[in-house]
Amino acid sequence: MQTKIVSKNFEIPFSHTIEVALKNGRYASLDKVFSYKPQELIDIIKQSGLRGKGGGGAPAGGKWQLASDFKGIKYLVVNGDESEPGTFKDRQILAKDPHLLIEGIIATCYAIGSHISYVYVRGEYEEFSNTLQSAIDEAYEKNFLGNGASYPVDITVHRGAGAYICGEKSALLESLEGNRGHPRLKPKSPEPEFYFAEPTLVNNVETIASVPFIIENGADAYRAYGTEQSPGTLLFAISGNITKPGVYETEFGVSMLEYIENLGGGVKKGKKLKAVIPGGASTPILPAHMIKDAKLDYENLKSLGSSLGTGGMIILDEDASMVKALKNLLRFYHHESCGQCTPCREGTSWVDKTMDKFIAKTATKEDLEILKSVSKTMNGKTICVFAPAASGVIDGFLKHFEAEFLECIQ
Amino acid sequence: MSFSYTQENTIKIASLFNRYPQKKALILPLLWLAQKQDGFIGEGAMQTISGLSEMPYMHVYSVATFYTMFKLQMSEKRVIEVCRTLSCELNGSENIKKYLLDNYSKDYEIVEVECMGACSGAPMCTLDGKYIENLTPELIDEVLNAN
Repeated sequence: MQTKIVSKNFEIPFSHTIEVALKNGRYASLDKVFSYKPQELIDIIKQSGLRGKGGGGAPAGGKWQLASDFKGIKYLVVNGDESEPGTFKDRQILAKDPHLLIEGIIATCYAIGSHISYVYVRGEYEEFSNTLQSAIDEAYEKNFLGNGASYPVDITVHRGAGAYICGEKSALLESLEGNRGHPRLKPKSPEPEFYFAEPTLVNNVETIASVPFIIENGADAYRAYGTEQSPGTLLFAISGNITKPGVYETEFGVSMLEYIENLGGGVKKGKKLKAVIPGGASTPILPAHMIKDAKLDYENLKSLGSSLGTGGMIILDEDASMVKALKNLLRFYHHESCGQCTPCREGTSWVDKTMDKFIAKTATKEDLEILKSVSKTMNGKTICVFAPAASGVIDGFLKHFEAEFLECIQ
Repeated sequence: MSFSYTQENTIKIASLFNRYPQKKALILPLLWLAQKQDGFIGEGAMQTISGLSEMPYMHVYSVATFYTMFKLQMSEKRVIEVCRTLSCELNGSENIKKYLLDNYSKDYEIVEVECMGACSGAPMCTLDGKYIENLTPELIDEVLNAN
């Protein structure tokens, strides 16, 4: 059931070292990369249908074009902030195949005309940052990077310091500039991001790690996997009440239940499945009866009222309390709100505290109304999508499991 | 509180200046180096960073206080961070926290943190920043007694 494109070398011992990486095909796509004109590469990525793998799923080719259209200095920033609860895929690439990421960075820089790249890695991943840094040092020694390379690229690893919001690309750039991680206002019309006012492409680690396969094998080879609108593969992850939690790469469009059974080994201790949070904590929860025919692709999960997100599934079994689970997630949102916008700063705090009453079974009908009305107030009134995500989480739990909340009302 | 970077860190910092278009971007790397060196970030360190990055002290302070991993006070004890987010909670992180508090709070500072991206190893914690996954009381005893 697994399709290993990005994770192909993960099981090979010492796959993070350049000797082993070179023996197993790393950097082999670069000759082909440099045989193309940059625009031809962008066109291949567009044809491949590659979508951003950090959660948003935006077409990568379009973003590359926006950055490429600018002249002068530009930057490639790779987002390895990976902080969405239930998501632990990018760390696999950093730890097990960092040279794949470096190869992808070189190709992407060449395509958009950049010579400088930053990889922003969440602060907690110190070990994986160090692995990546060692791989970068090796790549400099072998002249894949730096002034001795066919196409000079410099890569700098930049460590975050414990702020979920820095996974939001504009907050990430603020952080990379030496500021608090406050998201920026979205532009009216499509434009690239800007790092110190210079055009910048921001892509997730896994997105960039998918580039070498596409260049080497062609857009059609990538499109051979997945669905028409969600082509290729994703490093899906599974955790929670599951027998074999982990990261297993499959093509888009596979059955969620089959993934849970065949790769996840089924619900832990043979219990019944109650619900799935399909793509990281910020995607609305789906009760078991709704996922019978669910497919792991963007369109199908959207049609079910949720979202594919990062592909990090959290499994909840029959014993899981939905009231406790929502409290857990709202505490997370309260803790991680950057505090810039009032509806988010106050709203996440309010719903978190309100949930305490449900946990203590001392809630009133009014408290349930507070959850609903604060959720409405947080949605669509803030600079970034953090607060709307929290709204979606609340609405999902109340829509499918309101009875459990009513039981907590005096 | 006077602060100065070690010679080794001073050399590292010199090379960092070449990696970024503006000195301001060095604030996070400089904060990390200071914390690594002293175990925390004091006022003296932030003054030094203010000078190196050519940014006002208050800017450096506002950045240092925004990010939860930066410690502005020296911790008396070694730190254990226990993840409390959903996948860990579903796998018993509350019991793990209780076990740690009951048995090890005298020698360690035990704090709860949000998702560390180790959900396949739930429940998990860190000791001095290093991940310890698939925790059980037995594993905790084994690791902490060995350290």
